[in-house]
Amino acid sequence: MAVASAPNSGMARFPLVIALGALAAAGAAVVLAERFYRELEVRLAGAILDLITTSGVYVAPDRESVYFGLSSATPFGLRMTPECSSAFLLLPLLVVTMAMVYFRPANAKRLFFSLGISALVVVLVNQLRILTIVGLVHEYGTDEGYYWGHTLLGSMVSVLGGAVSLVLFVWLATRKKNA
Amino acid sequence: MSVKVLLAITQAFALTMSVAFLVYVVVIVVPYLRRKPAPVGDPADFTWHFFVPCRDEQTVIRETVRYLRTTFRKAHVWVVDDDSDDRTARVVRMLWRRHGGYDPYLHLVPRVRPEARTGKGDALNAAYRALNDWMGPEAARDDVVVVVVDADGRPAPNCLEVCAADHLFGDEGIGAVQLDVWMSNVETPPPSRNPVGRWFGLKLAQLQDLEFRTAIAAIQTSRGFTGTISMGGNGQFTRLTALDSIAGPAEEPWRGSLLEDFELGVHLLTAGWRTGFTPDSHVAQEGLYSLRRFLVQRTRWGQGTMQCARYLRRIWDSPHVSTLGAAEMMYYLAQPWLQLLGSLLYPIPFILLVASTAGDPAQMWTWFTGGAWILFAIYGSFGLLPFLVWGPVYQLKCLRSKNILRGIGMGFAYAAYIYTFYVTSWRALFRLIRRRNGWAKTRRNTEHAAGAKVALDA
Repeated sequence: MAVASAPNSGMARFPLVIALGALAAAGAAVVLAERFYRELEVRLAGAILDLITTSGVYVAPDRESVYFGLSSATPFGLRMTPECSSAFLLLPLLVVTMAMVYFRPANAKRLFFSLGISALVVVLVNQLRILTIVGLVHEYGTDEGYYWGHTLLGSMVSVLGGAVSLVLFVWLATRKKNA
Repeated sequence: MSVKVLLAITQAFALTMSVAFLVYVVVIVVPYLRRKPAPVGDPADFTWHFFVPCRDEQTVIRETVRYLRTTFRKAHVWVVDDDSDDRTARVVRMLWRRHGGYDPYLHLVPRVRPEARTGKGDALNAAYRALNDWMGPEAARDDVVVVVVDADGRPAPNCLEVCAADHLFGDEGIGAVQLDVWMSNVETPPPSRNPVGRWFGLKLAQLQDLEFRTAIAAIQTSRGFTGTISMGGNGQFTRLTALDSIAGPAEEPWRGSLLEDFELGVHLLTAGWRTGFTPDSHVAQEGLYSLRRFLVQRTRWGQGTMQCARYLRRIWDSPHVSTLGAAEMMYYLAQPWLQLLGSLLYPIPFILLVASTAGDPAQMWTWFTGGAWILFAIYGSFGLLPFLVWGPVYQLKCLRSKNILRGIGMGFAYAAYIYTFYVTSWRALFRLIRRRNGWAKTRRNTEHAAGAKVALDA
């Protein structure tokens, strides 16, 4: 009796080398173009602040900085340093995705989707961290607001956001398909 | 690449590894705390065979065989003597000849060099072949269960009825079951004249008990959801037909890595069997009192885990292992490597801190008191909490004691205990590089090691 082999899904034929190459290239791009990435981050932060505040926002992309509260008594600027950027938090996600694509290429589409969502969460969490600092500076002044916003709450947001992003990645990448 | 970028990359990996571990601990602690005891079954539905691999075990084997034969009267005991230099085989033969007759339930499997002393897996395979010969080709094998017990192991009297339950061996898809592991000497200090040595030895044994009964039991419980429960070297129950399915023509269900128990689990899972874990019964073994012996044991386990990385492809290729299961096993197999990476990454900020402090102590003090201490407190908490939590859990759930302060103290001690793995992972790596893959049998507490090695290599 002949046994028909299971039909390959589209993703089973996904060219592994291209998938891995794309992920590696994304990682390299993040590292090599990290300054451009930080510029984009401050531009995004500026756009969001422009939407939700009325006291004036200025973005200085060449200094990777965003200034807010310009018309207030305490204008303030935040510089996006490499340590503060979300750029490098994408690298561990890329590494894990590469490992999982390498071992189970049939899941490539799902893994790329999971990576996209998790990466988006990482970016948004960093924006939330900036907003937290801005909110606290606005509420408690530059010294105390920045102190608590940058050290305590900012770090908490980073850790909790990182946890949400990881859980989302694992859940999306490994959940069973509906029958 | 600038130093700042390099620092940011290490920081990102360190943060992700810490957060991943924190999430992992939260995920495993909840089902562990919520688990309720399960119904038991009838042990008479099965035939039980204990395999006890021995290499120089004369100090413990007599009591172990006596215990097994009196506690489980209908179970067979197969002692594998791996060409011991001491009187292990003689002790077993003496126990076999009792009351003027022979004990039909006690069997000695003698091995002789050069075939002997090649690893625990080979010793267990010898017992498997001896069992096959003893049963004969026509014997029914469906209801036969093989139990691996260490030479100092004490399976709890209820272990057979627990493992015979409908959700364990009563389920024909279950190929193997692992018991919870307890330490038998948590209240017996070592016979040292030095009070500090006595205290330290006892604490070390208690920490091993804490580790197995909380963190490892929680990991195993959560693996019930991922379908990747792994086997341990003691209290390992396997259906004979499951062993048959992976034994191959050489009749070798156990393979050659230093982590032959984990390896067995991988082969069973990828062959389509399911595995189970139960904390409703346990096997007790002696916790090590000596830090040196403990480090040797954990080096062997770390090296075994590193060796088992070769199974990643097999795990991911298996249609029987889900993506979540494969990811969980990959995370487990990555642990020694992550510890190596962590030991390189985590000190970097501290080295920079020390360098900066040396350069300008006043400015660093201002920075520290100006809020940086909060960061230290946060990251210190995240580094400690995943370990600290097991102390109170152990105190409340395992010891049924409300002494939370002692629990917190045990939690701190457990954190220090776990940090020794950073040392053992490096030792394991060096052994791996130097191709020292022998069976480093850790000596028992009762074995005197004055001037002798604390571990025996193959």
